[in-house]
Amino acid sequence: MSDKNQNWLDKNTFHHGEFWDILKLVEEKEKKGLKISLCIPTLNEEKTIGKEVLILRSELMDRYPLIDEFAVIDSGSSDKTLEVARNFGADVYLASDILPEVGDKRGKGENLWKAIHQLKGDVICYVDADISNIHPRFVYGLVAPLIRRDEVHYVKAFYDRPLNYSSGLRSSGGGRVTEILIRPLFSLFYPELTNIVQPLSGEYAARREVLEIIPFPIGYGVETSHLLDLYEKYGLEAFAQTDLDRRVHRNQTTNALGKMSFGILQTFFNRLHLQGKIDQIPDMETFYRRFEVEDGAYSQIVQEVVEEERPPMIEIEGYLRKRHGS
Amino acid sequence: MTIDTTSKELTLESLLKKIPSLIENLRETRDTYLTDAVLMGEIPAPTFGEEERIRLVLDRFRENGLDDPEVDDFGNASGILPGAEGRSSILVMAHADSVFSPETRHVINVGSDHITGPGIADNAIGMAAVVGLPKLLDRLGIKLKDDLLLLINAKSLGRANLEGARGFLETKQRPIRAGVCVEGAEQGRLSYSGLGALRGEITLRLPKNYDWNSFGAAGAISHMTRFVSQIMEIPVPKEPKTKLVFGELHSGSSFNTSPRKGFLRFEVTSEGDEVIEEMEGKIKELCEQYSLESDTNVDLEVVAKRQNCGIPFTHPLVKTTRSIMAESGITPKVDPSTGDLNALIRAGHPGVTLGLTTAENLREDNETIHLEPLYAGMAQLITLLQAIDLELCEL
Repeated sequence: MSDKNQNWLDKNTFHHGEFWDILKLVEEKEKKGLKISLCIPTLNEEKTIGKEVLILRSELMDRYPLIDEFAVIDSGSSDKTLEVARNFGADVYLASDILPEVGDKRGKGENLWKAIHQLKGDVICYVDADISNIHPRFVYGLVAPLIRRDEVHYVKAFYDRPLNYSSGLRSSGGGRVTEILIRPLFSLFYPELTNIVQPLSGEYAARREVLEIIPFPIGYGVETSHLLDLYEKYGLEAFAQTDLDRRVHRNQTTNALGKMSFGILQTFFNRLHLQGKIDQIPDMETFYRRFEVEDGAYSQIVQEVVEEERPPMIEIEGYLRKRHGS
Repeated sequence: MTIDTTSKELTLESLLKKIPSLIENLRETRDTYLTDAVLMGEIPAPTFGEEERIRLVLDRFRENGLDDPEVDDFGNASGILPGAEGRSSILVMAHADSVFSPETRHVINVGSDHITGPGIADNAIGMAAVVGLPKLLDRLGIKLKDDLLLLINAKSLGRANLEGARGFLETKQRPIRAGVCVEGAEQGRLSYSGLGALRGEITLRLPKNYDWNSFGAAGAISHMTRFVSQIMEIPVPKEPKTKLVFGELHSGSSFNTSPRKGFLRFEVTSEGDEVIEEMEGKIKELCEQYSLESDTNVDLEVVAKRQNCGIPFTHPLVKTTRSIMAESGITPKVDPSTGDLNALIRAGHPGVTLGLTTAENLREDNETIHLEPLYAGMAQLITLLQAIDLELCEL
């Protein structure tokens, strides 16, 4: 692993425990005159939205005023999501009511995009609605690097701190789509982005000035496109990532993951095309990159995977001789 | 300062009049205590394993500006909200431990009108009410004369035999005017006496040289069944009120292997200490008799034993509590406690136990509390603290 990558990991990878003093964060935020908005995109999340609004509002607006604005932006839930969210004090918006002149598209990315228009903050923090072990760290862990480090523009979450087992190290897993699709793709085309432990995590915080200049796929590709677009504009230094420990959420079926992968691939190839990489595919990388952790330190494991090929058997002289005797 | 009866009545009346608006205020400020209930409730805290939950309580005590926040040698968290005069203290306590093992998925769900999750009623919401008192009193503009001594006690349930509360009360030397034990459920609960109780564990073992032929197909399960039947033949008197509960019985692990060991947990509660002594003696005798007659080893271990104690129904603390409950729209249900109140009263302090709200599925994974009754439940607690502070509950 290059010194540059390790240096980035050491400098830009945090653990939420580093930011436990929320009061201090509030003071630093106020000193810098930053306003922070929290957005939860929803579609039929009545089971978990109540707890998210209750805890995040109570802890991060009432007890410690880290968040200045808290909005739920909904795609048209047919359950009690809106009622429950409103009941616990969130500002609730229908995505279709925001910027009606541009029309209404259905998807999480639509809600995230319209949040930029609706919300006032200099920093917007996005948190998915399906987290059953919600805790204030899901927000302060993400906004803290933006408060502390001016050169950081975009902070991703990652979870499930790997543990040491008696059988050895457990690799730092993303989701199935991350490990099977995204990490191999990034290893091939954007090796530096493999430093992001969980590129598809639904929780991230970013400065308005970077969110407003990038397009938003409305579906599954939104997280991938953010990384590719901001990496193209600012390089890896604009990113940071925070370990938020455990995240408990719904498990998706393999079919759903297939659909998700299909959407992500569309976004990915779209970016390759836009960035001129589809017509002039560079020499492909042969290094596969994944993560391990030991004693709290993250390191990238690089393995060379060379897919060598044999020619058709019919081109082999020995084969022809045997078959045809010539 | 002595307050004459008429003046006391007028003071109480004035407090009671404020209850409806207090209920509304507590509805508005519910985030304070509901959030703590969820955050604390999601930390597993089996009896003897409450440390992590207690750590969060201590953080909250610090954040809420209490004096002397500490965890004592018994694992209890306590802190003091100083009163305007501070000549005496009012103790408000809630137990931290729950019946759920750490393996239980401690996830709490919040709905519009209810909260569901293991231990939310017993006793996450009770703890949250106590922990949130400094902020609530501040928001409500209530300043007490007495110090408020807040205690979240560990090691209360089951085998712990109130160890945390007893340890705290034995070592914390402060003048205590009265104490209130807070339980999440059931609303209307009014305990002013501690019920005498005996908790025992009986283990039946077949010896290594057990003669299976002499006694037929009698593995530990058959023996336990017969043994339990024999215990049930011990007369349980109606007067004084006495109850025998078999709480847990297990033995064996497969279809076709005769188990060699059986285990029974039971509790005897009685308003008569002599009845408890007598029942204990009889069960002990039965263990010996059964061992000898059946060639098994039956052992009784008494894991908890406590005597009856209480303050009279006519005590001003009880009388005032009843008035407050009535004004809050809560129907009192007198229920002697087998919990922390026992330790409080035996330490010489007048006290009551209150339940905050209605609940269902108690001690199951989907334990649920209802939010609407909770605001009145919180109002009864806060009004009672004010009444104690105003010396309306003194003999």
